[in-house]
Amino acid sequence: MNGTSLSDAVRSGLAEARDSLSTVHMTIPASNIMARADQARRHRRLGVLAGAGGLAAAAVAVSAALPASHHQTAGHSEPAVRLAAWAVTRLADGNIQVTFREATDPAGLQRTLRADGVPASVTFTGQRNPACRSITFPAPPFSDKGAFRGPLTKVLSFGGPANTAYGYPKDALVIHPSALRRGEGIQIWTAGTPGAADNFELHAGLVQASPQCTGS
Amino acid sequence: MQEIWLLRRVWDVDSDRLEFEEFYTAARDHCLRVVLISVGDRHLADDLVAEAFTRAWASWRKVRGHPAPHAWVVRTALNLHVSWWRRRRREVPLGSQGEAVAASEYPGLDNSLVAALRRLPARQREVIVLRLLLDLDTATTAQTLGMSSGTVASYLHRGLAGLRRDIPALKYQEQMK
Repeated sequence: MNGTSLSDAVRSGLAEARDSLSTVHMTIPASNIMARADQARRHRRLGVLAGAGGLAAAAVAVSAALPASHHQTAGHSEPAVRLAAWAVTRLADGNIQVTFREATDPAGLQRTLRADGVPASVTFTGQRNPACRSITFPAPPFSDKGAFRGPLTKVLSFGGPANTAYGYPKDALVIHPSALRRGEGIQIWTAGTPGAADNFELHAGLVQASPQCTGS
Repeated sequence: MQEIWLLRRVWDVDSDRLEFEEFYTAARDHCLRVVLISVGDRHLADDLVAEAFTRAWASWRKVRGHPAPHAWVVRTALNLHVSWWRRRRREVPLGSQGEAVAASEYPGLDNSLVAALRRLPARQREVIVLRLLLDLDTATTAQTLGMSSGTVASYLHRGLAGLRRDIPALKYQEQMK
């Protein structure tokens, strides 16, 4: 019989102790953790966008980045300056890009995404759709080296420095439908002041697809 | 152009938020269990890990590029535990009632190896947790703890020797030199 080294014996003993704690779960929501940190660094908090001029300028900057040949559907806001509140674009690589300027017409956006084959729930009320069940990831991909990249970020990308290399504008949410597994859908919601169309934080996550949540 | 910058910064923040939420969801239970083994008190472990994740989010741009972000969280929680222990030792010089409660609640924490691990000096304990419980390689452990690979090897050797002295019944075979 092969013997084990001291380090193997300790490794195995500690792993056994850890595995015996399978009923131990961290129950604090991520939002609470982030809220605590955000409070501590209030000076770095962002989220207030003001001024239709600025929004129009941002919209122009994004539109200029979009190839004219792409199929695009846009929602409209009600105020005096009639800007597209959001735009859904099917990209050449099959991914779907959603560009937001205002958090209005969630039903229209939800309808458009579903028509594009993405099971989706969209709410701009400051709350998630209560009928949706979020998907959690019990098996951490700890073997990954480098920046953390798990199942969720394979399906959804917010524009940012890491994604501009793929041609995605910085101000867009990109959905990768091919990475969605059977029974999965997408939930998009806002946090912040309900009804404040130009003052919102956008969130997105994976949910279990169901008729009540994602329509299928 | 200020508004455009703000809009882009908001999107950058949301991108980070999405990533962090996913990391937190995936890593929180694992980190909690590892820290619980190290400190032996469920409520304390909850607090330490929550604070460590809070700090991870506050420094997410740095932590996300770390070779083992979950190890960063565990190491931060264990450092916080050292600070907490120093304060507590000054304030309440009594026995560890919380650990006794935790041990009866979680039989896995009751074994002699876990008890011996907790008796090790902090740095040796951290190295053993990162190398053997989180299964990190020496270089990543060294980077996480801010020490050289040689120092990691030295602490590991001394920590294992301490466990061997503390648990004569530990079954293993001496490696041939």
